[in-house]
Amino acid sequence: MLYVIVGAGRVGLRTARVLRESGHDVTLIERDESAIERARAAGFDVIAGDGALEETLESANLAEADALGALTGDLNNNFVACMIAKEHGCRTVMRIDEDYREEIYRRYASDVDEVIYPERLGAIAAKNALLGGNIRAIADIAQHLQLVEFTITDSAPIKGYSLSELELPANTRLLAHGKGDAPLDIPDPDETLDAGDHLVILADFDTLSDVRSIVVGESGPTKALGGV
Amino acid sequence: MVTAYVMVKAHTGDADRLKREIGAIDGVVDAHIVAGDVDLIATVSVDTPAAVKDVAATHVQDIEGVESTQTYIAMD
Repeated sequence: MLYVIVGAGRVGLRTARVLRESGHDVTLIERDESAIERARAAGFDVIAGDGALEETLESANLAEADALGALTGDLNNNFVACMIAKEHGCRTVMRIDEDYREEIYRRYASDVDEVIYPERLGAIAAKNALLGGNIRAIADIAQHLQLVEFTITDSAPIKGYSLSELELPANTRLLAHGKGDAPLDIPDPDETLDAGDHLVILADFDTLSDVRSIVVGESGPTKALGGV
Repeated sequence: MVTAYVMVKAHTGDADRLKREIGAIDGVVDAHIVAGDVDLIATVSVDTPAAVKDVAATHVQDIEGVESTQTYIAMD
């Protein structure tokens, strides 16, 4: 897959890296000389120019690209890049600069398929780090639905039971199980739950606290686990 | 007549309500939600420059969810 990313700054360049690590082709568009050099030194194809101009975007082979990420710090440029890319049939992802705008762009900007607010994702990572090792919020799927990874501890009530014996609250699904350091996998009902195992659970926000006391054994408020 | 353009920056995602409330102010001809550094632009048409100030500084800024405004008076 080919992806075009406008902006090779701290968000754009990192996104390009993770796309490349997943085996995708990436073309970056950047106008700042030092950012161009940094991206080229990292081995990326960089088109020097203004990503909000049609002629620059056209040289990025938009016809072949699967999607365009407009990831600069400039809201206007990001929006224009998405409009042009949409015209060329690309899926578009736009970075915004303030969280209240997420709703506005989702609703009104028909040329923008996805809206990204990097600070929100950073806040989720920081929250996970602050909460400590046993619980990791992966994503807010919907307003009341959260995807959470739990690590089973020595004091976890479910330790030693098999997956088929695990009884989760209503509106909750076990999606994946990983033995110790092994990669996560589809849950096998016969597997035993040991300390260090990981469980990925989709849960309604209201049941998170119950899930947590069953799986991890801690009590207390889980408010901090919610969305940001 | 004096024509002016009021750039409105919000701090809420409730753009529909802002558009409705701004559009309902006397002297506001139309209001649009826009992409970019500001969130709405309202066109104002009133009798005097003082009335522009009244619309922008008093009425628009009084609306819950309006962070700031910037007003441009047309010269042509």
